[in-house]
Amino acid sequence: MCRLIAVKLTGPLERVLRVMIADPSAPHYGYDLMKAAKLPSGTLYPMLARLQQDGLVNAEWEAPRPDAAGRPPRKYYRLTAEGLRVARLELAQAASAAPPRRAGRSAAQPAPGSTL
Amino acid sequence: MSPAPHAQQIAGWLIRVICRRLPADVRAERCREWTAELPAILDDQSIRPSFLRTLRIFSFCVGISWTAMRLSRSARAASRHTRSAQWHTGAMRIRPPELAVRAARGLLIWLVVVAGVLGLIAVLRTHGLPRNLPVMLVLALAVGFDGFCLADIARSARVRYLRKWVWVLICLVQCPLGGIMYLSIGHIGRHPSRPGS
Repeated sequence: MCRLIAVKLTGPLERVLRVMIADPSAPHYGYDLMKAAKLPSGTLYPMLARLQQDGLVNAEWEAPRPDAAGRPPRKYYRLTAEGLRVARLELAQAASAAPPRRAGRSAAQPAPGSTL
Repeated sequence: MSPAPHAQQIAGWLIRVICRRLPADVRAERCREWTAELPAILDDQSIRPSFLRTLRIFSFCVGISWTAMRLSRSARAASRHTRSAQWHTGAMRIRPPELAVRAARGLLIWLVVVAGVLGLIAVLRTHGLPRNLPVMLVLALAVGFDGFCLADIARSARVRYLRKWVWVLICLVQCPLGGIMYLSIGHIGRHPSRPGS
């Protein structure tokens, strides 16, 4: 099933994808992502909800653990296979569209491949 | 004693209040998810001094509130979309605002028709025309309208809300009003498969 997923790679989304792609198998909970991607909760959760809706990210509840010391189970987010593919593609395109990151934004042209 | 447990309790209460805004099917899950993040924020040793963690919890709640607003807005938009599609494809589903608007419009049309007929009778009587002429005119109009409604019911593949024979009965029993109500509520139209618009 080849579905065209409309992902507009915004700055916050790029940061989240970078964090998640760094270790695709590792589960991330909300605050963990907030810290790693330096995003406020009001940006992160709507984004995760959208990614989940698009099937790029799935969420699962942490299994209850004896060493959790009464801590409630967390909800962990993880990239799906499709999400991993899209994230790699998007980040590669973003990297090729703007190679010199520090070289003045005034000369930057509108990135042709920044949306899928 | 540190203020953290109280902060956690207050923030938990805030999250519960915020989550009431969410659609019912995700409410409990989101509430559990966000409440479970609070200990992680309070135990975050990278935020120093410790009272900043309390502030962090409340700024987290502000973001949660924003998230809940966004999520409920998109859920509302999605349900509006599906309900609109269902209405136009003629699914037998009650959609209160639309139903009420259509019923009110039907009643208004009925009132206008009744007022028009009464006015017509009054005008005809002042001109001294035979007494049974207006009665026959009204009867002819009613029979014609009923015939049109029954033909429409018979012709359409599906009708909304009620069975076809119930609509036929309504049209026959409550002569002008039943037909008007059928046309404004029960009638689906010629392109039942076309969604939207």
